This record gives sequence, structure tokens and C-alpha cells, in this order.
Amino acid sequence: MYKINENTIRIGNSFYIDEIQPLITDLLKLDKDHSKVSFDLSGTVNYDNAVLAFINSLTKENYHILLSDKMKDDILKFNSSIMFNESEKQLLSGFEKIVSVFYSFLEQIRSFIILSADVFYYSIRSVFNKNGRRKGSVYEQILLIGNNAVPIVFLLAFLIGFILSLQSAAQLRQFGANIYLVDLIVISMITEMGPMITAIIVAGRSGSAIAAEISTMQITEELDALKVIALNPLKYVVSPKMIAMTVSLPVLTIMANLVGIFGGFIIAVIYLNLSPIVFFNRAVSVMTISFWWQSVLKSILFSWLIVLIGSHFGFNVKGGAEGVGKATTASVVAAIFAVIITDALLSIVFYFDF
Amino acid sequence: MNNVIEINNLVAKYDTRIILDNISLEIKRNEIFIILGSSGGGKTTLLKHIIGLIKPVSGTINIFDQEVTRMESDKFDQILTQVGMLFQGGALINSMKVWENVAIPLEQHTKLPQNIIIDLVKQKLSLVHLEHAFHLYPSELSGGMKKRVALARAIAMDPKILFFDEPSAGLDPITALELDELILELKDKLGITLVIVTHELESIKRIADRIIYLQKGKKLFTGTLAEAKAADIDEINRFFSWK
Repeated sequence: MYKINENTIRIGNSFYIDEIQPLITDLLKLDKDHSKVSFDLSGTVNYDNAVLAFINSLTKENYHILLSDKMKDDILKFNSSIMFNESEKQLLSGFEKIVSVFYSFLEQIRSFIILSADVFYYSIRSVFNKNGRRKGSVYEQILLIGNNAVPIVFLLAFLIGFILSLQSAAQLRQFGANIYLVDLIVISMITEMGPMITAIIVAGRSGSAIAAEISTMQITEELDALKVIALNPLKYVVSPKMIAMTVSLPVLTIMANLVGIFGGFIIAVIYLNLSPIVFFNRAVSVMTISFWWQSVLKSILFSWLIVLIGSHFGFNVKGGAEGVGKATTASVVAAIFAVIITDALLSIVFYFDF
Repeated sequence: MNNVIEINNLVAKYDTRIILDNISLEIKRNEIFIILGSSGGGKTTLLKHIIGLIKPVSGTINIFDQEVTRMESDKFDQILTQVGMLFQGGALINSMKVWENVAIPLEQHTKLPQNIIIDLVKQKLSLVHLEHAFHLYPSELSGGMKKRVALARAIAMDPKILFFDEPSAGLDPITALELDELILELKDKLGITLVIVTHELESIKRIADRIIYLQKGKKLFTGTLAEAKAADIDEINRFFSWK
């Protein structure tokens, strides 16, 4: 409760948090020199901490304030309780910020390289020596990463092949170059679209799952528990995924290539009126073994990138549930980015070599 | 030697902040040793150093008379197979069933046939009174049950030393009491040495043989409870509400 009487604001017996905002609004309406406005709080007995904070802030603005002794005391106490420095870290200047971002990026690269070396070491070892990984874990992972991804890979590869052919067919038809659709779809599917589409799907499905699983295990101390049981998490958790991915992704890629070409086949037969036999003969003569090698090699590299990036973000998780979300997102973005960059680099290398 | 663990002048840092400042202590065979202290005092850090999850800045740690801080990981793994640890939240592998969790150390470190492993798992589960949880997943268990499964996993290999990170935190008094009884049983029947981080006063009074009290990374006191009372240190008196 308060009353405004020209330049004097008289606060009643009780004054609480919800009356502060109206008072501030009224105060602005007064629009007078602060030193001419006076507050009378001598009769105020009931108040809360928000009121203390408010009065405390008024004292710094030249207002004339009349307080009871008790309230003076309370405000002094309030003031002393907020007299500490809340900033925990020194703010960095612009240049320092850039340097620290760059430095932490280098740090990430460094730890990624170390992790990769370790993962390769333990995965290769665990191919020959089953000690330190769970029985049946590789098979389980192949089911999860490979087998369960078959329907979505089939569907998307088919659509990509289909659409790619449809768009090209319209152009090729104008020149009567119908037969070259076969070359186009076979080469682009096997060397580019097949490996890349499959890798992107698997990065989204399994790369994220790897990051989420490992980061959760990190946060719930499961990885520490494994270490204390004298098990290496890289061997126990990562190596089955690495082996399974290295097997699954090339197989999925080969399937995707064939299904994509089948999508092109449908366009060729229905839209361009090519005979199936002609399509088949042309396709077989176009696809050399080196294209298939390219395809498989790319997919193997992609599979490693997906597992390594997923586990890198998983192991370096910070914070709780939010951290898991961030790690998962970051791993998918980084994995897809890495896949596309690697694909571009490899394509250039292969284009000039083969 | 009578000491299973000996720590000399251990120093731990996090960035530049000192977490453990020149800690020395020894833990004797078949005793229950309690690590106490105010929060942020470095209790869990000390525990993690002993089991090798963190490497110290300086100082040495001997387990079974072998210096472990600079030991190769293969050799340290040999020591770890004689050690069990119960983590605060249990740290069970969530993708595996209860019995599979308990079987992990047996499957990985022994070449026992599957049926013997399953029998051993059953024995450990009945020791912690969780026979009915055999085929459940950790997510289907309550907090106290998870801890008991984690205990079963920790003792699966019949370790010589068992570490606990706040075993009774978040447990109701009765379950906490049962856990303490289990701990005493492990000590008496199996001759295990137990190292426990806890704040539970009741539990400390029931089971402690000797304690270490850490304050801001420094050792304030080591010895038995009676000695602690006799030492008449302000901070410790306050902790136990002795005065």
C-alpha cells in the first residue's frame, strides 16, 4: 500500500513484491528531479526482500528516504550480503577469444587423432583376439547398424536413382542421347550418390546413436565402471561398432548402388522406351571394376569417419542430459560434413587417377 | 605386509586449483576405512586416484606393495581384477540385463564355461537379495536395487579390496542398514578390505574401523573413531555433533 501526495510517497504499513512495479510506473509519471521526491517508509513494518532490494536501489538515486531503524538495519544487512564479485571468469578480449577458439579447435583435432589411433589399434586387435569385448556384440551391432538400415537405404537410394534419371532423361531425350542415361546413372550412383547417400543415412541413424550411447555412458560413470573392471571402453564399447560399421556400410552401399540403378532402369524403360536388354548390356559394359572399388573404398572410409566422430563427441561430453543432446547433434553435423568433404577429395583423386 | 594400500605425498590438481594437498595414508588388510570430509573436500578425487581413473600430479600409490601410478595399463589391469568398485549411481550398463552386468567381469577375465558363470552370478545376486531381478534391465530397478546389483558386480570376482562411492546416499534408512550389514558380512566372511566414501553418520558409526577426514584437500585426521573423539578437533566435532 502506498499513497502519492505531490512530492511525497508514503508507504503504508505493509509493502510487498507485487506493489513495486506499479510504484515504479507511478514514479516515472511524476517525472521530477529525484532530490525533490521523498519517500516515507517510517511506518512500514511488513516487507520482503524484494522491497529491500528496491529501497536499496533508490538510495543510490538521490531520493529523499525516511526509514525506520529496523529497516535501515535490514537494508545494511542486505547490502553487505550482495557485496561479492559474481563474475567468475575474466572476460576475454576479441583477439584472445579468437585465439582461444582456435586453440580449442586444435585441441579437439589432437584428441581426435589420438582417439582414432587408439580405436584402430584396439579394433584391429579385437578382430583377432576376442578378449575384452562381449560375445555376440559385433553381430548385434551389425544387426543394428546394417540390417535395420536396409529399408530406409533401399527407399532413399531408389528415389535418388529415380529422380536423378528422370531429370537427366528429359534433357538427354532432346538430343536423342537416350542410351547415355545408362552411363550417367551407373557411374553417378556407384561412384558418388550410392556411397554418399548411404553414409549420410547411416551417420544420421547410427553415428548419432553411437554419440548418444557413449556420452550417456560417460555421464552415468558406466565407462569408469568398465575401466575399474579392467576393461578398456575402446575395446569393449567402440571396437564392436567399428568392426560392424566397416562390414555394414560397404554392403549397404553396394545394395544402394544397385537399387539406385534399378530406379534409373525404370525411367529408362518407361520414359525413354529403352529395352531392358539394351539397358542391361550397356550397364554391364559401363561399370568397370574400378568404379566398384571406388565405391567400396569410399564407404569404408566413411564408416570409419562416422564411428570415430561419434565416439569423439561421446567421450568428450560435458554436462548432463543437455550435454548428451549437444554431443549427438554435433556428431551428426560433423560426420555429414566430414563425409561430404572426404567424398569431394576422393572424387578429385579418383578422377585424375583412374 | 599388513597394508594393502599405501599413499605417499599425493598431490592432485584441477587446472591450477589444488584438490588434494600432500595426502599420505595407509589402509590395512581387512579393515573398513572411511573417507570423510566436507563437500568439495576431495573425497571422490582421492578414491578415483586410488583406482587409477585419474593420474596424480605427484606422489605415489602402492596397492599390494606395487607402485601403480606409473604402471603400464596391462599390468594395472591385473591389479584391478582383484579390486571392485561401487559407483554412486551404480553405473550399470543400461543396455544389458542385470545378470549380464554381473557377468561382465567373469566373462571377460576368466575362461569359465557359461553355466558356471551363471551359477556364480546367481550366488552373488542372492547375496544381495535380488534373485528376482535376474532377467530385468537396470532401468526397471529402483535406486537401491541398482546399487545392490552394482555391489554384486563389484564382488563378482571375489575382490580383495572393495571401493564404495557414497553407498547409502539416496537410500532409505532400512535399505541403508541392510547395506551396512552386507558390508560387515563381506568384511567378516570374505576378509575383504573396504574403502568407503560416505557422509552418513549412522552408517559411519556402525561400520567404521578407521577414518580419514579431508578438509579442502588437506588431511585433518586419520585414525579410529575413538581417537578422533579424543583428538578434539573442531571441524570433526562439528561433523559428528559431538559438542
